[in-house]
Amino acid sequence: MSVRTGDSRAFVPRASTRRERASGRKENDGRFAFWLVVPAILVLTVVIGYPVIAALVRSLFSDPIASAPRFIGLDNYFSALWGVNSGKFWDSVGVTYFFAAVTIVLETAIGLGMALVMNQAFRGRGLLRGVVLVPWAVPTAVAAVLWKWSFDPVGIINALTGSHVVWTGSDWPSKAAIVIADTWKTSPFIALLILAGLQIIPGEVYEAAKIDGAGAFQRFRLITLPLVRPALLVAILFRLLDTLRMYDLPAILTHGANDTTTLSILVVQATLNELKPGFGGALSTLTFLLIFVTAYAFVRLLGVNAVEAQIGGGRGGKR
Amino acid sequence: MRRRLTRLGMGLAAVAAAATTLTACGTGGGTTGNGTGPITFASGKDLTGAMPQLLAEWNKLHPDQKVTFIELSASPDDQRNSFVQDLQARSGKYDVMWDDVVWTSEFAAHGWLEPLDKAQVGGPDVLPAAVDTATYQGKMYGAPFMTNSALLYYRSDLVPKPPTTWAELQADCAIAKAHDMACYVGQFAQYEGLTVNAAEAITSAGGSFLSPDGSKVTVDSPQARAGLQHLVDMFRSGNIPAAALTYQEQESANAFVTGKAMFLANWPYVYTAASAAGSAVQGKFGMAQLPGPNGPGIASLGGIDLGVSAFSKHKQTAKDFVAWMQSESSQRVLVKVMNQASVLTKLYTDPDLTKASPYLPTLQKAELTAVPRLKTPNYNAVSLAIQKNVYAALQGKVSVDGAVKQLAADLQQAISAA
Repeated sequence: MSVRTGDSRAFVPRASTRRERASGRKENDGRFAFWLVVPAILVLTVVIGYPVIAALVRSLFSDPIASAPRFIGLDNYFSALWGVNSGKFWDSVGVTYFFAAVTIVLETAIGLGMALVMNQAFRGRGLLRGVVLVPWAVPTAVAAVLWKWSFDPVGIINALTGSHVVWTGSDWPSKAAIVIADTWKTSPFIALLILAGLQIIPGEVYEAAKIDGAGAFQRFRLITLPLVRPALLVAILFRLLDTLRMYDLPAILTHGANDTTTLSILVVQATLNELKPGFGGALSTLTFLLIFVTAYAFVRLLGVNAVEAQIGGGRGGKR
Repeated sequence: MRRRLTRLGMGLAAVAAAATTLTACGTGGGTTGNGTGPITFASGKDLTGAMPQLLAEWNKLHPDQKVTFIELSASPDDQRNSFVQDLQARSGKYDVMWDDVVWTSEFAAHGWLEPLDKAQVGGPDVLPAAVDTATYQGKMYGAPFMTNSALLYYRSDLVPKPPTTWAELQADCAIAKAHDMACYVGQFAQYEGLTVNAAEAITSAGGSFLSPDGSKVTVDSPQARAGLQHLVDMFRSGNIPAAALTYQEQESANAFVTGKAMFLANWPYVYTAASAAGSAVQGKFGMAQLPGPNGPGIASLGGIDLGVSAFSKHKQTAKDFVAWMQSESSQRVLVKVMNQASVLTKLYTDPDLTKASPYLPTLQKAELTAVPRLKTPNYNAVSLAIQKNVYAALQGKVSVDGAVKQLAADLQQAISAA
C-alpha cells in the first residue's frame, strides 16, 4: 500500500510536468498559428470586410444628384421590397431562382451521368476526364462570348438546326440560350465532384451486391446513390451559391434584356449605370440575404443528414 | 480572443481608410501654385493609333506640362465606369476625361467637372449643337472635341436616289426583297443604341421624351406614337429583319458591308469599312441624311466632350489642353488621320478634307438639324426606361399605345428620383 502510494506520489509530479509541458506547447502552437493567420485576416479585412461594411452603411443613405447623401434609414430596402422599385426587384428574384432551379436540375442529371461513365474502366478514360473539364476551364466571360456567336441569328446553332430563331431577341429563346450555355459550362464541375465521391465506394460492396442478386438499377439506387449523396449535395450547394449570383452569362448574352435581368445585373445597373450606390448597396445586401437564407435552408433540409451519415459511418467504424 | 480580433479588424479598417485618403492626396505630385504641371488624359480605346502622335505635339510645345495618355476600354460603358469610380473617390487620377456627350450634364450635376470658359471652347466656330451638349445650367462643363451624327448608308447600285421620307424608304424595300436582302437595319438590341434609334424616329415625327429643361415628361403624344409606330411597322412587315433585335453598331454595320442589307443607319465611321478592299459594297454605296415622315429626319447627336476633373491638381494646364485639342491644327488631325467628325464648322467645306472624306457636307447638313440626346442628370435611368419599353413594342409584346403610356410612367419615376 505504502509502496503503491509512494509509487503514485512519485508518479504524479512527473505526469503533471508532462501535462504542463504539453499544454505549454499547445499554447505556443496556438499563438504561433494565430500569428500565421494574421496576414490572411489583415488582407480579408481590407478587401472583404471594409467594402461589405461600407456598402451596408451606404445602403442607409439616399442618392441625391447634386448634394450630399442623407441618412434615410431602411428606405432603400422598402423601395426595393414593396416601393416604387419592387417590380424590378421581384422580377429579377424570379429570374434568378428560375435560372438556379433549371440549371441545377439539368446539370446534376447530366453531371451524374458523366461521372458514372467516367467511373467505368475503359481505354482512354484519363483522356476523357481531361477533355470533359475543358468547358469548366474556359473563363465564363469567354464562354459567354463564344455562345453569343453561336446563338447569332446567322450563327452556327441556326445553321445546324436549319431554324431561324432570333435567340437573344425574345424571352424564352434568351432564357434557353443562357440555360444551355450554363449547363454546358458547369456540368463537368458537378461530374468531377461526383466522380470523386464514386471513387471512394469500395468495389467489394458492388461484388457482394451482385452475388446477392441485385440488378444494375438496384445497385445504383441502393449503393451508389446513398454513398455518393454527400458529394452530390456539396456539388449542388456550390452550384446553388454560384447560380444565385449569376452575372456574366446573361450580361454578355443579352445585357439583361428579354427578362433575363438577374439580381447581380440589377445591382450593377443601379450602382454603376444609374449612379445610385445607396440603392445598389441595399440591393446587394438583399441579394446576400437571399443567398444566405437559401443556402442555409438547403443545408438544414438536406445537408444535415449528409453530415450525420458521415459521422455515423465514422463511429460505426470505431465500434 | 474574439474581442481582440474585432479590435484588430477595426484598427485595420482605420489604417486602410487612412491609406486611401493618403494616396488620394498624394497623386497630385509637384503641385504648383498656378495649377500648371503634368496632366493625364483618359480616352476610350484609340482605334486609329493617332492619338499618341497628336499628344506628342502638345508635349513638344509644353515640355513642363506633359500630358500622359491613359487608354481605356473600347466600350463606353466601361469607360464610364472607370470615370465614375475615380470621380466618386475624388482621386483626380484622370485630369482630362473623354466624356460621351450624354454624360456631361450628369457629371456636372454631381460637381465632378470644372466649369470652362465659354469664350475659349464654345465660340462661334464650334457647332452650336455640340456646344449645347457641353452646357449645363448655362455654364460649359466640357470642350466639344468631336461630334457625330447618324447617316443613312444606301446601296447606290440598287437605289438611284436615296429616300428622304419614310414612305419612300418603304417603297424602296421592294427592291431589297427582289434581291433577297434585308431592307433596313439599325441598332435595335436593348442597349444605348436603341435609345438613339428610337429618339431619331420619335423626334423626326415631332415628338420628344422630356421638356427641354428635363423637368417634365412629354412622351405621351400622338407624334411620339407615330414615330414608334413607324419602327414597329417596319419590323412587322419584315423590312427591318427580326435579327436586328440583336444588332448593336458592329452587327448592323456587318450586315451592310457584307451586302446583306440595303439601308443602314449608323455613324460616319462605317465609311472606312464599307469603302475598304474586301467590302462587298466597295464603290456601290452612298450616304445621305436619315429619312423622316415628310423629308429628312432628325438625327441623334453623338460625340465627345473633353471634361476637366474637379479634382485635378493642375486645372490650368488641363483647361489649356482641352482648348488646344479643339484648335484647328488638332481638329485637322482628327478629321484627316482619325476619320472623325470635327466640331469646327469650317472644316466641313475644306477642299483638302472633303477630298478624303466626301461625306463631310452631308454630315454637316445632318448635324445642323440634329438634336442632342436628352439632357438630364438622370440620363442613364431615362435611357434604360426608353430601351425597355421601346424594345417591348418592337418585339410586339405590347402595343405602341401601351408602350408609350408605360414609358411616360417610367420616365416620370426616373426624373423624380431623389
